[in-house]
Amino acid sequence: MIQARRRLNRTAIFLVLALIAVVMLFPFAFMALIANQSYDQYLAGSGFSLDSWRQLFDTIPVLQELLNSAIVTAGAVLIILVVSSMGGFAFAKLGYPGGSVVFLLLLAGMMVPVQSIVIPEFVNVSQLGLINQYPGAILVYAALGAPFATYLMTTYYRGVPTELMEASLMDGASYLQIFVRVILPLSVPAIVTITVLQFIQIWDDLLIGLLFLQTPDVRTITVGLATLQSGRMVNVPVLMAGSLASALPAIIVYLIFQRHLVRGLTMGIGK
Amino acid sequence: MILLELGLLGLPILQTFYYSFTDWNGQTSSWIGLDNYARLFNDSTFWQVLGNNALLLASIPIAIVIPLAVAFLLNEHVTGWRFFRSAYFLPTAISWVVIGIVGIRFFAAEGILNGVLRTVGLGGVQTDLLSSEVGAMVAVIITFIWSVFGTNTIIFITGMATLDREVYEAAHVDGAGAWATLVHVTLPMLRRFIQFAFILTLITAFTALFSLIFVMTSGGPGFGTTTLEFFVYEKAFATGVFGLAAAIGVVLFVIVFAISITQLRLFRSRAD
Repeated sequence: MIQARRRLNRTAIFLVLALIAVVMLFPFAFMALIANQSYDQYLAGSGFSLDSWRQLFDTIPVLQELLNSAIVTAGAVLIILVVSSMGGFAFAKLGYPGGSVVFLLLLAGMMVPVQSIVIPEFVNVSQLGLINQYPGAILVYAALGAPFATYLMTTYYRGVPTELMEASLMDGASYLQIFVRVILPLSVPAIVTITVLQFIQIWDDLLIGLLFLQTPDVRTITVGLATLQSGRMVNVPVLMAGSLASALPAIIVYLIFQRHLVRGLTMGIGK
Repeated sequence: MILLELGLLGLPILQTFYYSFTDWNGQTSSWIGLDNYARLFNDSTFWQVLGNNALLLASIPIAIVIPLAVAFLLNEHVTGWRFFRSAYFLPTAISWVVIGIVGIRFFAAEGILNGVLRTVGLGGVQTDLLSSEVGAMVAVIITFIWSVFGTNTIIFITGMATLDREVYEAAHVDGAGAWATLVHVTLPMLRRFIQFAFILTLITAFTALFSLIFVMTSGGPGFGTTTLEFFVYEKAFATGVFGLAAAIGVVLFVIVFAISITQLRLFRSRAD
C-alpha cells in the first residue's frame, strides 16, 4: 500500500519535472526546427530545407563574426587567466604591505555595474584610437572579468597547503619558479572553471561589442545577430539559423564543462 | 594587473562621478553642480524607469520560490533527474540576445503563445503583450524568470546536497511531518543559499538585462520596459546627453553597491 503510494508520488514528480524540461528546452527546439525551414516553409508550417542557412551566410558575414567573437573571447580570457592566477597567488600566499587594501578594492571592482562606467570607458578608449580594434574590447572585457576571477583564484589558493610552497622555498626555488612548477599545475581545476565562466560571459555579451566593435569586419556574432533582429525585414528562419550559429559554441562548452560552470557559480557562496 | 583594473575600472567610475556634475557631450564638459540630478529627479520618465526596476524587484520572489520547489522535487532523485537538471541549466549558456529573439516570437501577436492558446481552445484570451507598456514588462519579466530558473535551481540543489542526513532522521524520530521538516529544518538550513540566489538574481535584474531589453523591446513601448541600465545607454548613445547619463550611472552604481555591501555583511555575519 505504502509502496504503491510512493510509486505514484514518484511518477507525479517525474511528470512535473518532465513538463518543466519541455518549457526550458522549447526555445531550443523551436530554434532548431525553424532554422531548417525556408521562409515559405515557415509560413506554411511544414517542410524542411537548408535554404535559411545559405541565406544567412549571404546576409551577414557569419564566419568572420564567429572568428571575431573567438579572437576577442580568447584574448580576454587569456589576460584574465594570467592576471587572476598571479593575483590570486599573491593575495592568498605572499601577503605584501597594503595587500588587504588592494583586495578590498578588488572586491569593490566586482560590484561596479558595466553600465555605470561604460560612457567614460568609451570616451577613453576612443581617445586611445582603439574603437573598432580588437585590443580595445579585449582590454575592457578583461578588466570587467578579472576581479571576480581573481577572487575565485584567491579562494582556491587559500585551500592549497602552504607547506608545499615552503618546502620548495627551502630547496632554493624563487617565487616565480614555485608559481610555475608547484602552484600552476595544482590550479588546473580552478583555471578550467574560470575559463568556462568567462568564455560564456564574454561570448554572450552584447553591450561592449555593440559600442567598441561597431563595423561589420570586427563585430562579434552577438552584435551581428542583434543587428539582424533590428533589421527592417525580419526573416524568422534566417534569424533562427543565426541564433543557433551564435549559441552553438557556448552550448558545446556548456555540455562539456557543465560541472565547472556549476562549481564557479556556487563558489560565490563560500564555504 | 593593478594598472589594468585602475585604468579600466577605477578611473571610469571616478570619471562617471565627476562627469555626473557636468554638462558633457563626450568631448567638452562644463561644471554644473547638481543640475543633472535635479533634472533627473524632476523627470517623470526617470520615475517610470525606477518603477520598472521596482517591478523587476517584485518579481524576484517568484524567481526564487519556483526553483526552490523544483529543487525539492529534483532532490527526490527520480528517474532522469540528472537530465532534467542539465536541461534546466542550459539557458545559462545562451546569450540574452538569443533569448530575446526567441522571446519576441513567443509573445508576439502572431506568436507561439497565442498559437498554443488557440490550439487548446482558449482563442478568446489571446493577448498582444508586447504592444502595451504593462504587457511588455510582463513579457520581459516572464522571460527573465525563465532564464534565471536554472541557475537558482542549481544553487538550491547544491545547498540541499550539503544538508546533513542525520538532522532529517532526528526530525523524523521527533515525529516531525513532511511539512514541519520543510519549515523547521530544511528552509533554515538553506538560508545562506536562498540569500545568495536572491542577491544574484537581484544583481542580474539590475545589471544584466540590457541585451534582453535591447533586442526584445528596445525599452518600449514608450518607456514601458526601460530600466536604469538601459536608460543610461539611451541617454548617452541615443540622445547624446552624456552628463545626465553619467548621473543615471551613479544612481545605478549606488543601488548595486548598496546591495552588494548588504550581501557581504550578511555572509560575514553568518560565517562568524
